[in-house]
Amino acid sequence: MRLIRYIHPGTRSLAPAYGLSGRSPWTGLENEIDQLFESALSGFVAGPSRTQFPVDLYEDKDNTYVRAELPGVNRDDVGVEMVEGYLTITAARKQKDGDNEESVSFSRSVSIPDEIQSDKVAAAYQDGVLTVTLPKREEAKPKKVSIEVK
Amino acid sequence: MSLFNSLIPTLGRQAVKSEDGSSEGIGPSVKPVYDIKEAKEAFGLTVYLPGVAKDGVEITAENDQLRIVGRQAWKQPEGWTALYRESPSVPFELVLDHDNAIQPEKIHAELVDGVLRLSLPKAEAIKPRKIAIA
Repeated sequence: MRLIRYIHPGTRSLAPAYGLSGRSPWTGLENEIDQLFESALSGFVAGPSRTQFPVDLYEDKDNTYVRAELPGVNRDDVGVEMVEGYLTITAARKQKDGDNEESVSFSRSVSIPDEIQSDKVAAAYQDGVLTVTLPKREEAKPKKVSIEVK
Repeated sequence: MSLFNSLIPTLGRQAVKSEDGSSEGIGPSVKPVYDIKEAKEAFGLTVYLPGVAKDGVEITAENDQLRIVGRQAWKQPEGWTALYRESPSVPFELVLDHDNAIQPEKIHAELVDGVLRLSLPKAEAIKPRKIAIA
């Protein structure tokens, strides 16, 4: 006696017909894979993380710039602090919804690679983007030294 | 590549979606953060579009769809080197199906500090109605 039922080779396939429901046996797996990818790719969408705002770091010859996307915050509620090589940006967004007022606060620290003049840091807020300009120290700026060839 | 798409269903579907013209013309885009609240007379839509100025916003309502495109006004100045980036450099695009539940001609929109607020008045057909018994 056989333990395994004989299946005619013609009807054997990777995706056997599961009754009349027409449901592929891979449906569950497909959903699993979809979810995996969605959760893995969600970092690329500007969406889900609402308490951590995106930050860009730029530099040119004289300054280092930090651009933080903070839409809808009040200028008075934005705080910029420079402590031991870290720039900390704090902000709060207040939303009025009828009688309720909800407030969301954000905070983020960014490591600044170059030595900067902490006392000359400037910040500007436009269209929901905060731009912090951090002037580099003289010794951190690239220097041109011309050497005379004898 | 087609084998790869067939192995990972999500990738295959995204490719199909971009072909049917939903994001025609603007190329790659990201979906902005948004929320919708419902009030008695209207839906309130809030879309966060950091870095987008007034003239960079495009709102179109057609074919049961509300489409919002926001283009960032800021361009990286010459001489600036990006050391680290998190923000998207592609425009924002949000497409919502409204299924004629709103009155497109009465949409009111305002943009303040990168936050776009839209008021979408409900269509008469979906408003609750009291029926008096004669």
